[in-house]
Order: sequence, then structure tokens, then C-alpha cells
Amino acid sequence: MSLGSVQLAEPGVLSLAGILDYRSGPDLRKQGAALIASSKAEALVLDCTAVEQSSSVGLSLLLGFIRDAQAVGKHCAIRGMPHGMREIAEVYGLDDILALQ
Amino acid sequence: MSVDNAYAVELKGVTFKRGSRSIFNNVDIRIPKGKVTGIMGPSGCGKTTLLRLMGAQLRPASGEVWVAGQNLPTLSRSDLFDARKQMGVLFQSGALFTDLDVFENVAFPLRVHTRLSEEMIRDIVLMKLQAVGLRGAIELMPDELSGGMKRRVALARAIALDPQILMYDEPFVGQDPIAMGVLVRLIRLLNDALGITSIVVSHDLAETASIADYIYVVGDGQVLGQGTPAELMDSDNPRIRQFMKGDPDGPVPFHFPAPDYRADLLGKR
Repeated sequence: MSLGSVQLAEPGVLSLAGILDYRSGPDLRKQGAALIASSKAEALVLDCTAVEQSSSVGLSLLLGFIRDAQAVGKHCAIRGMPHGMREIAEVYGLDDILALQ
Repeated sequence: MSVDNAYAVELKGVTFKRGSRSIFNNVDIRIPKGKVTGIMGPSGCGKTTLLRLMGAQLRPASGEVWVAGQNLPTLSRSDLFDARKQMGVLFQSGALFTDLDVFENVAFPLRVHTRLSEEMIRDIVLMKLQAVGLRGAIELMPDELSGGMKRRVALARAIALDPQILMYDEPFVGQDPIAMGVLVRLIRLLNDALGITSIVVSHDLAETASIADYIYVVGDGQVLGQGTPAELMDSDNPRIRQFMKGDPDGPVPFHFPAPDYRADLLGKR
């Protein structure tokens, strides 16, 4: 297991990785917001493929990043959400909001 | 050391006393990870005490209480504080803060135990309340809620920190049939979807048997029996049978010990 991280893996793709929890969440929120603000791409993809473990905090991060993108008029999509994270999202009624496929 | 990580909680040889009275005597209990385990027994048999031992709110006279690889009675105060973050408790009373609204009640553990921003706290509180069907009640005060709603707000608060272990202390007491059905569904849903280990202390047989994967029956300071609900229903042990079938008389007598009735009525006083 690794600590959580967030980075712009490629233009317009914000990659979340590792463990998204109460310890890593506050810093990841700030880092992600700064990266989104710095991105010149017209759209934003939140790539969760490398997420190893997520609590509710991971879902809050996604919501926060979607709000950041909306605030600057960028379309935002989520990809690669692991099964466990998807199940948690469903319990909290976020499947439609996060447009889980 | 805890020998088997298939178990979320292990009590090994636990003895607990109040004064000179032994409440539990050399009890072994193993709670499997990711399952719903019921702890059942007659009122006053010490079920809640058992829950408090698992949460390290009480310290055993002897024995070990292993949770997530740590023997709780040996932990320092700060380590215990950290260990408790993995445990959520739904108290029998609900124990909501009466001077805080629903939102602040659920936000409370997030404010105390994390350094999340207000934005993230709001997201998480809304998620938890959505899960229990009470997102629309965020501005209500506890005294504006029904008993069932209070229990659900308390459940939202108990899962605020995404605990690995969720303990329910008599969750069905005083609930109407609808509220009871809602709770049964929520306990199972949260357990299965969030991968939580659930421990349900209850004397409500039908509800607990309907959701528990495994049940311990306790009484007389010991474990009287254990097994799946079906195994316990078929138990040959008369004490287990009496409890599972709700027979008024049996090894646990209907009558409190008393002098001979005839002598009491007709004999010399």
C-alpha cells in the first residue's frame, strides 16, 4: 500500500493513486485543486485506476475536483474507478452524480 | 499475538468483574472479519459489557482483547485513541448531542479526529445522511426527530469516520416495525458494501437472526453457544434452545427462587 497521491499524468488527466483516506485527503484536495487550476486542457479526466483503497474521503475528493472543473467551465469525467470505490459510491447514492458506468 | 487475521476482534480468556462479582469468566470470542456477528443473551447478562470490553471502554481483570492486531488493554492512552478511530458504536440511547443539529452531530467525529476542510466535511456528512435516508433532515434538532430517525442519525455519525468495525448496542429496542426493518436493511447494506465488520448486541431474536452470519449466545458469565442462526435453532443445548425459541420456562426458570408455595400460603408464618 502506498500513501495517496494526485498528479497530472498527461494534459487534462488528473491521476489519483494509493490510499485516499482521512490522513491523505486534506493535502490531496489542495494539490488537486492547484493542478486543475494550472491545467490548460479544455476538459478534465479524473483517473482512478491506480487507487488502491478509498474511504468516503476519496469520493469527496472526486466531488471537489468536479466542482473545481465546473468553476472554470471544464467538462469533467471519471474513469477507472475500482470496484470497491464504486460500491461505496453506490451506498452513498453517488452513482448518478459521478456518472458511474 | 493475534493468531488469525480472519478475525476482526478476538477475546482470549477474558475475565471481567464488578467488585467481587464475576460478569465474565475466561471467555473466548472471535468475531470474523466482514461478517455480521450477533451477540445475544437474556437482558442483564452482560452483552453491553462485552461490547465495552471490545471498545476498551472497560478493562478486563485478565485476558486479551485483540482488535486489528493490537491487544487493547496494553495500549497507551494515545494509541487507544487511534485504535478507536477504527470502531464505530451505535449506542442504545442514540446518544446524540441534544444541542447540536443533525448536520453537526454527524460532523462531530470528523471535526474531532480529522483535519478535513469544511468543504470535505460537508460532502461526507451529506453522503452519510443520504445513506440512512435523512439528508433532508440536516437542520433538524434531535428533539424534532422520531426514535427511529434518531437511531439513523446516530448510525450516520457512527460511520462518519469509515470504521472497520461497527458495534450496535441493542439497535432494535423501542423501534416500530418499519424503523426496525430499515435498520436491519442498513446494517446488512453497510456491512456488505463497505466491507465493515458488524457486531450486533441484541436480545431481539428474529431481527438479529435475520441478519447475523454468526451468533454467540452468552449468559451466566460465559459463552453458552455459538454458530449460525440455523445451527443454534437446532441446538441440543437446552439453554440455547430455550433462548432461541423464546420458551418462558426451562433451564432459565420462569420463577425467581422462592420458598415452597404451599408453605408460603398455608404454612405457619
